[in-house]
Amino acid sequence: MATTEKVDLYKDNKEYAATPKPALVEIGPAVYLSISGRGVPGGNAFSEAIGALYGVAFTVKMTRKFAGKRDYAVCKLEALWPNLNWDDTTPDREQWVWQLMIRTPKFVAAKDISQAIETLMKRGKGAEVQRVELRSLSEGLCVQALHVGPYEDEGKTMATMRAFTERQELRIAGTHHEIYLSDPRRVAVSRLKTILRGPVMKAEG
Amino acid sequence: MRTVTLHDYKRRMLRVLVHIQQHLDESLQLEELAGLACFSPYHFHRVFKGMVGESVKEYVRRLRLERAASQLKLGSASVVDIALGAGYDSHEAFTRTFKTAFGTAPSQYRLARRVELARAPSGVHFHEPITVRFRTLRRGGNMKVEIRQLKPMRVAFMRHVGPYAEVGKTWEQFLTVMGKEGYLGGNPMMLGICHDDPEVTPPAKLRYDACLTVGEDFGPSGDIGAQTVAGGAYAVTTHTGPYNQLGRTYVEFVGQWMPRSGRELRNAPCFEVYVNDPHDSDPEELLTDIYAPLQEEAKGARE
Repeated sequence: MATTEKVDLYKDNKEYAATPKPALVEIGPAVYLSISGRGVPGGNAFSEAIGALYGVAFTVKMTRKFAGKRDYAVCKLEALWPNLNWDDTTPDREQWVWQLMIRTPKFVAAKDISQAIETLMKRGKGAEVQRVELRSLSEGLCVQALHVGPYEDEGKTMATMRAFTERQELRIAGTHHEIYLSDPRRVAVSRLKTILRGPVMKAEG
Repeated sequence: MRTVTLHDYKRRMLRVLVHIQQHLDESLQLEELAGLACFSPYHFHRVFKGMVGESVKEYVRRLRLERAASQLKLGSASVVDIALGAGYDSHEAFTRTFKTAFGTAPSQYRLARRVELARAPSGVHFHEPITVRFRTLRRGGNMKVEIRQLKPMRVAFMRHVGPYAEVGKTWEQFLTVMGKEGYLGGNPMMLGICHDDPEVTPPAKLRYDACLTVGEDFGPSGDIGAQTVAGGAYAVTTHTGPYNQLGRTYVEFVGQWMPRSGRELRNAPCFEVYVNDPHDSDPEELLTDIYAPLQEEAKGARE
């Protein structure tokens, strides 16, 4: 239907090709479809938020596609964890705050989102979808690494990332960012692939 | 209470094989063959292929050819007459097929002293008494099957008529329309229902329904219809790999696992559920759950 080639931000942006070895990457400004909340990862609020986020993502994509506008692939799920600290002093899981995100091409407009939310509300898809919005994020210089295995073991990969940044005379000083490359419902926990990312700045002293 | 045993499946399939042997000159209809052995016509072709190792069509054609071969050797009828008797319109078509099967033209075959025939998977040949080797799943086979009890499911669907390899286009169109209307919110299931057997129906006429689970209030509009997938007991197995290899798993599941299961298939089509997204997964990683409808256990036990 669309005359121009389909956009795939996941394939086109090299930062999504992370390896287990920590590396520095420059992340430019990016737009995400996003929803925030608080509670245990995988709990009710979290799952409902994921459902709402994907519901809006696919409704926007298909509405644009139907109208003959430029088509694009829906990217992987990502999340920011503002109170998941890099120094391992993390609060109780009940208190975890998260911002779930799906990277979205810049040509998707706020009007596309409000229209999709309206459509979903008409289908009785709950108030959750109303909390989905477009957010811009510009992380700048980051350290990132591919973590393979259960989410609980991320500490090990985070430790190697910290050691790496210290050797570069940098320190991690921004919100913990995760990109979920595997579907936890389909992939064995030992094979789960997650990119861990944190913005860095010059170490003092 | 007695369940359906492997022996029952074999006994009933043997009835079909004997019937085919005795009616080689008639046009053998799938429904009729299925009925003879109390198999559901929806599943018969897969049960047959699974247990016998050839499709009905391949099996019948081979027996007709083998009969023609023995007529060439033992009789004096002309090659043309034998070709017609084997169901071929022309000498050429018969010669071509014969050559593929036996490695030699009919006229040379007639003169040859002895030609070794390739053995059929089932061991059944025209000129030999029927002793069958049914191919059921070896014990300890690694097919994982679960029995699930389903509630009826209301689905919206778009029908595809054409080769199964082209259903992707129908899915694109269907999901775009459904997505625009907000039906992709709430993580609906994506189902496929194959109504026809690619062994019997020409590719251009194969019917396939791309389905999405919806609420009870969904009404059909335009190209999009609504139907209810029957509830009840289903045997479920997962196919891992490209969609074009689904056929093989169907045959193993319905034709080789089922006869050993103690269960009987219900007269309704199988359906498949697409677990992951083909845009997002390598073909080797694609997961498809195959649902085969079962008769209720007590009913199956009486046979």
